[in-house]
Amino acid sequence: MAPKSNTAKVTLPLAVVGKTEVLHLIQEIDALDTFFAQAKIRSAGSAVVPPKLSQLLEELAKQNDVNLIQEESRKILKAGLEHIIAHAPTVHISFATTPSQRFLSKVTAWFRKEIHSDTLLQVGLQPSIAAGCMVRTTNKFFDLSLRRFLTGQTEKLASEFSGAKHG
Amino acid sequence: MELWQFMLIVGSLLAVLLAFIWCALLLRGLQQQPKQAKSEDPTKAYTAAAERDIEHIFDQQFREELRNRGRLLFEKIISDNAMFLQQDLRLTSSQLNEFMKQEITKTLQDEFAKYETSITDAKQLAIDSIEKTQAAIEQQRQLLSTQLQKEIAEERARHIARFDKNMAEIVNHYILEAIGTQIDLDDQLEYIMSDLEANKKAILEDIEHGA
Repeated sequence: MAPKSNTAKVTLPLAVVGKTEVLHLIQEIDALDTFFAQAKIRSAGSAVVPPKLSQLLEELAKQNDVNLIQEESRKILKAGLEHIIAHAPTVHISFATTPSQRFLSKVTAWFRKEIHSDTLLQVGLQPSIAAGCMVRTTNKFFDLSLRRFLTGQTEKLASEFSGAKHG
Repeated sequence: MELWQFMLIVGSLLAVLLAFIWCALLLRGLQQQPKQAKSEDPTKAYTAAAERDIEHIFDQQFREELRNRGRLLFEKIISDNAMFLQQDLRLTSSQLNEFMKQEITKTLQDEFAKYETSITDAKQLAIDSIEKTQAAIEQQRQLLSTQLQKEIAEERARHIARFDKNMAEIVNHYILEAIGTQIDLDDQLEYIMSDLEANKKAILEDIEHGA
């Protein structure tokens, strides 16, 4: 079953976090196209080895209910991915340590549910923030780190320090 | 008889005559001379006789004797004078030594007195100088102490202000150093999600405007 139009909405799996994965998926689809084009040229009866699909691509196909053997479906899927590359909002998010895939999936799910369904994340590493994260959108910067939290708690910290000193 | 015999006889007769006449004259002269001597002073006569016979009185031996006596006398006088001179010299030397001792002692005492006075003055001057220096040092120390206390108080206030200003940063740094790598992101998920939720509106607005 193929999507209804060339600009059909492609739903990205949560494993696909950023542009890198989307570009990788497009490359895979291109590789499939090439394989099938070569298969047509080959004489009947010759052995062919289809390229091995990645888990991401399989998940993408499954989530969008697309048969990758069909050329039209691949074209629609590729067009959808390219549309995402061109138009999807990209959010840069930094953590103190490298996040796990499970953690990233949860964050991605939140962004795609609450902000935009095609949101792509660009994950960065910033050890100085200790805890929390820093989010940078197109025009804004959101400091959601422990440092910002502590800055807001200066008076409380001062009172705690004073208490520790006199106590 | 010949002529020459005759002449000899005549000549002898003449010679005897002449000798007779000379003796007569000489005896006459001797008879007149004592008469003249009896009429002069005997002392003068002796003196005159001595003058006439001086060479016989002070002969060479007598002169030599006199010379020896003079030499001995002169040597005795010289010896006596040398002894006197030696005694006098010893006495003078002794007196001179005593005088020198007294003078030197007096001079040394004077100099020592002056030296002691100078030392006392110098000591007093040094004590005054040291006291002044100590006073100045004490004054400077108090001034420096005041300045130091003031600067310490200011520095302390600056440090406290800086600490207050950067307290969050300091605590964050401390946490990062202490347990920075041990904070699991999964444990922070709830906190991060709540923060994202709190900023959802702003993020959404920016995404929509940016898009």
